[in-house]
Amino acid sequence: MNIRTLARKNLLRRKSRAVFTGLGIFLGIGTFVAISSITMQMEGAVRDKLDRYGANILVTPRTEQLSLGFGDIALGGTQVSHGRLTAADEQAIRSIPLGERIRLAVPWFLSAADASGKNLVWMGVRPVDLAESRPWWKVDGAEIGGKDDVILGFEAAAALDKGPGGTLESGGRTFRVAGILKPTGEKEDGMVIADIAAVRELAGVKDGVTFFEVAALCRECPIEDIVREIGAKMPGAKVSAIRSVVESRKAAVDQFRRLGLGVSAIVLGIGGLMVFVTIMGNVQERTREIGILRAVGFRRRAIRSLLFWETGWIALAASAAGALAGAGAAIAASPLFGIARGAVEWRAMALGTVLGVSLGLLGTIPPARRAAALSPTEAIRSL
Amino acid sequence: MSFITLEELEMTYGSNGTSATALRGVSVAIARGEYAVITGESGAGKSTLLCILGGLQLPTGGRITIDGVDLSTLRADALADFRGKTIGFVFQAYHLLPYLTARENVMVPMAPEKGSAAGKWARADALLASVGLAGKEERLPSQLSGGECQRVAIARALVHDPPILLADEPTGNLDSGTGDQILDLFARLHGQGKTILVVTHNRANVERGTRSIHLRDGRVDEDRFLAARPAGQAGRGIPPERRT
Repeated sequence: MNIRTLARKNLLRRKSRAVFTGLGIFLGIGTFVAISSITMQMEGAVRDKLDRYGANILVTPRTEQLSLGFGDIALGGTQVSHGRLTAADEQAIRSIPLGERIRLAVPWFLSAADASGKNLVWMGVRPVDLAESRPWWKVDGAEIGGKDDVILGFEAAAALDKGPGGTLESGGRTFRVAGILKPTGEKEDGMVIADIAAVRELAGVKDGVTFFEVAALCRECPIEDIVREIGAKMPGAKVSAIRSVVESRKAAVDQFRRLGLGVSAIVLGIGGLMVFVTIMGNVQERTREIGILRAVGFRRRAIRSLLFWETGWIALAASAAGALAGAGAAIAASPLFGIARGAVEWRAMALGTVLGVSLGLLGTIPPARRAAALSPTEAIRSL
Repeated sequence: MSFITLEELEMTYGSNGTSATALRGVSVAIARGEYAVITGESGAGKSTLLCILGGLQLPTGGRITIDGVDLSTLRADALADFRGKTIGFVFQAYHLLPYLTARENVMVPMAPEKGSAAGKWARADALLASVGLAGKEERLPSQLSGGECQRVAIARALVHDPPILLADEPTGNLDSGTGDQILDLFARLHGQGKTILVVTHNRANVERGTRSIHLRDGRVDEDRFLAARPAGQAGRGIPPERRT
C-alpha cells in the first residue's frame, strides 16, 4: 500500500466521476489532436499545392531599363540588354547546390509572328512542361500534342475566328488548333501557345529562351538562398523571387496554424476548467476522508500527492484515448478538408498526450492546495 | 513529569461577536499509562478537548504538552508527523475507507512511508490478528460487522505503535455485548502500557478506566481517580475549578 495504490483504488471506486473528470481532457485533447493533425496535413497539402501552383522564381536576361509609364500604360523607355538566355542555362539552374529543391525549370520563348494574317505573340513552351507550370489553365479541346499543334488564347481565338480542330498559317507552315484556352484574365488570352521548338523556328532562333520559370519545393523553403545560388551561376541573368507567391504561401499556412491553435486553446481551456471543477467537487465530497487521512498522520504533501496521482492516472488515460480518437477523427475527416490521404500525426498525438497530462495536473493544483489546507477537525465533523 | 499536560486551555470558535466558547480554562495532567474516560453532555466541550488532545487543532488559549512537546510550537506537517507516531485515533463511526479491504485500511497510515509492500502487509496482518480478525483481512468494511469494523479501526490506530490511543465514543454504534468486547480490547492495550483516552457520554463506560474526567460547560466539573495510578507516575492533576 502506497499513495499510488490508494489513488488507483479510489479511482476504481469512483468510476463514473473518474470518467467525467477524464471526459473534459478526452474531448479537449481529442479536439486538439484532430485539429492539429488536420492543420499539419493541410499545411503540407497547401505547401504542395502552392508549389505545384506555378513558378516562384523568375529568371530573365539582365537589362537596364528606364521605365516610362503609368500603371499599365507604357510610354516607352530605354532598355539595354546585357545578355541572352539559352536552353543550356536550364542545366546551370539545376546544378546549383540547392538543386534538389528545384521541381521545375521551364524555358519559355516569346516571339511576335504572323498567325493567318494577324500579328500575334507566340508563346513557346515544351508541351511536357505545360500542365505542370500552368495547372490552372483550362483548355477546350486537346493539349499540344506535337510541333504542329497550337492552343489559342480566348481573345486570339475570337480574333482569328478559330475553334478546336481549325488551322492557322504562319511562316509557310500550317498549325492545327488543338484547343482554346478558357479566359484567364492574363496576357496569354491574346497569345498563341505552341511548342517552343516551333516558335523558335518561326523566329529563326536556334536555342533562345526569353525567361525561365523556376518552381522550388518550398517546405521550410530557403527561397532567397536558391535565388542567390542561381544568380551566382548565371551572372548575366536577373533572378527574382516572385514575392507575392511566397508571401501568400506563408500567410495561408500561418492562417491555418493560427486557426488550429485558437480553436485548440479554447477547447483545452474548457477541458482544464472541467478538471478543476470536478476535482474541486471531489475534494468537497471527500472532506471527511481527507480528514481521516490527516488524522492518521498524512502530511499535506501526501494529500496533494494523492490527488495528483489520481488526476495523473485519469489525465494519462484520457489524454491517450483522446489522442487516439483525435487521430482517428482527423483521418476520417481528411477528405472534407481536401487531404487526399489522411495520415497519423505522431507529433500531434505525443504533444496532445503531454499537454493533457499537464492540463490535468495544472487543473488539480487549486483543489489539491485546498485539500491539503483542510483542517482535520473541519474534515472530521463527527468528532 | 506528566505525560500529557493541559494548562488553562481555552477554545473559542467564531469571531466578530458571534463567538462560542467550548473550553474555559481546562487544566489536566495525565500520566503515562492512564486510562482516562472523559464524559459530559452534548456541548460540554469533550469533542473539542479530544481534538486538542489529538493534535487535530490547537487551543486559542493555554498550552498543551505531550511527552514534553509543546504542540503549539509545531508546524502543520510536524504536527502531522507527531500525530502519526504518537497518537492513534478510534472514531465512533470507524471511518474506514469503504473501498479498501480490512488489511488495506490498516495499511493506510503506512501509505506515505517507504518500505516494502510485504513488510506493510505483514504488519497489518499481525495487527488484525491481535484484535481477533485473522482470516478476515480481505473483507471490505461492508462485509464486516460493526464490532469488526471497530476492531479494524483499532488495528489501524496501532500501526505506528503509538503510546496514546484516543477514542471518540468507540462503543456508540455498537450493541452492549460488542461494545464490551471493544472495551476489553482497550483494557488489554492499557495493560500493555498504552495511555488510553476515551470520550463518551455514556457514564457506564467510566468504570473501565482508571480515571474519570467530567466536563460541564467547557470546564472540568469532576476529575477522580478510579484505580491505582501506574507505578512511578506522580501525575499530579492540576486542580480543576471543582473536584469531587
